[in-house]
Amino acid sequence: MRRADPRFPGMAAVRGMDARTEQAEESRMSEIAAAGVRPAARGRLGIGAEAARGAPDVRRLLQLALAGIWLLDALLQYQAFMFSKGFSHMLAGTASGNPGTVASPITWNATLIEHHLVLLNAIFATIQLLIGIGIAWRPTVRVALAASIAWSLGVWWFGEGLGMVLTGDASPVNGAPGAVILYALLAVLLWPADRGPAAPFTAARAVGAPVARTLWLVLWLSLAYFALLPGNRAPQALHDMIAGMTDGEPGWLAALDRGAASLVAHQGLAASIVLAIALVIVAVGVYLPAPYAKGALVLAIVIAAVIWGFGEAFGTIFTGGGTDPNSGPLLALLALTYWPARAAVPAPVRTAPAPAAAVDEGTAAP
Amino acid sequence: MIPSWILDIFAAIMLVVAAVSAARLVAARPWWHGAQRAALADIDVAHLLMAIAMAGMLVSGLQTLPNGGWEVIFAVMTAWFGYRVVRDARVSGVRALAGGHCAPHLIHAAAMLYMFMALTAPTAHGSVGMGGMSGGGMSGMGTLQLPLLAFLFALALIGYSIWDLDQLSGPGASGHYSLATARVVPTGPVLAGVGAPAGPGTAAGTALASAPPALSAAEPAEAVHVPPASAPADGTGVLAPWVATGCRIAMGVTMAFMLLIMI
Repeated sequence: MRRADPRFPGMAAVRGMDARTEQAEESRMSEIAAAGVRPAARGRLGIGAEAARGAPDVRRLLQLALAGIWLLDALLQYQAFMFSKGFSHMLAGTASGNPGTVASPITWNATLIEHHLVLLNAIFATIQLLIGIGIAWRPTVRVALAASIAWSLGVWWFGEGLGMVLTGDASPVNGAPGAVILYALLAVLLWPADRGPAAPFTAARAVGAPVARTLWLVLWLSLAYFALLPGNRAPQALHDMIAGMTDGEPGWLAALDRGAASLVAHQGLAASIVLAIALVIVAVGVYLPAPYAKGALVLAIVIAAVIWGFGEAFGTIFTGGGTDPNSGPLLALLALTYWPARAAVPAPVRTAPAPAAAVDEGTAAP
Repeated sequence: MIPSWILDIFAAIMLVVAAVSAARLVAARPWWHGAQRAALADIDVAHLLMAIAMAGMLVSGLQTLPNGGWEVIFAVMTAWFGYRVVRDARVSGVRALAGGHCAPHLIHAAAMLYMFMALTAPTAHGSVGMGGMSGGGMSGMGTLQLPLLAFLFALALIGYSIWDLDQLSGPGASGHYSLATARVVPTGPVLAGVGAPAGPGTAAGTALASAPPALSAAEPAEAVHVPPASAPADGTGVLAPWVATGCRIAMGVTMAFMLLIMI
């Protein structure tokens, strides 16, 4: 809450202040302009105890991170490559290996996009732009999150071939189960609702701890399963996957990928087993006491970073052909939503506004 | 190839930002109102110059300054906002480095400088310089050296834009994030467009306590500098703080867009 500050005595003092004071005043005012509003805003958002402690609303920060990734997605969708036939061919390629009922709509969609490439891609990019802005703009956060779920499910099918999970080619190293489905999962877990009086971590606030933990378990166990698929545990599978990411990359990134690929050359089985074990540890980690859960979540973030850097080449953004940053950042963001709360996360408390908030709203007694 | 009409839309947005920034400068009349307001005019000047430069980059037919001229301008601007960030940090601590008032402007200016310095000449259709970015229907678009830096700048710009949107839409938005316009009779000079602490014992707080109940959160912050009869009250109309923040959001998104399409 705002406090009286003796350094702001009013007009007369401001007029008379010396250069040093003026500098301090200006900087202080600037700081306040940038940050000073937050406590009052939180009070009226019903964030209650967190605001009282001066701590940021973790869920809102995670929503903003999700909004940022959507905005990045949107801007990447405006790249020149997305207005070329390469984009529609890329979409059509995801039909390969999928069952006919899944593949046919993908092919139809890719054909449609090819015929109306500029218009449809501009619409796609704009939709993502609006989703990102909508999540960041507080009054529209629910609408935007709901839209993001619907959009993600559509793109997961028509744009990513259900993450190739039905083809036998899915691998956690190259983005399985599909980055876009993680957007939908995050939107659900970060939905602005509270189901109980206390939640052990942010993701539990919207859906409850048991459901949140189950979703986490299913996701990471499925990644472990994909890591052990025959196509991924072949001796050169991981090497080829990483080495295949070097095309079009900047020299430093290509060198990193080549180095990583050489490390796992002919080690496909061992690497897959190690990765699967790590993924299982992460999967069950959220059921452990907080200190161990934190360790598992740190491991999840490390795995996400390694996958993003070496397996996904940062979403191939540096090639000019990346439609999104891929699954690495989303897995890391997901892990943060399960980070144990310092204390129980309170449900929103619709209490009477705190004094400063009341002042802000002009309801204070004169 | 990116269709030219998409670039034209972004360029049009930048021209609107430039016009709004120019209008803010004219309305604020910093040259008549002393050093304090002049000190904050730098933001509108920065917005004006950056918006013109970006519009020129996006539309090949829009000739502005030579690249060398823009490089000098944005180098000076970067140094100026760097100085202000360091000055803020000395007073307010290291938080000012990332979350201070001038930090976003420093990033914007540095990103512009980087774009002008790192752009490689287009390889097709002979368009030279930033004005050739969309030359030949984007086939002559240049690319940026050090693409990792472009990506990092884009991330920072997106981050600040998202943060600004959140703060601007918060129910208690005030200061730079106020959506309200001020109608309070000014009782104390507070720097234009800058929030002041409103609380018991402060001038702003006193003004608020005596203000009608319908006044919004930001009003004390905007009840600034007793204006002469002919001058518009600060914080109203085009001088409303949210206008500057809106310009910053539009520029941040457009700049991130340009950085990403030139990687």
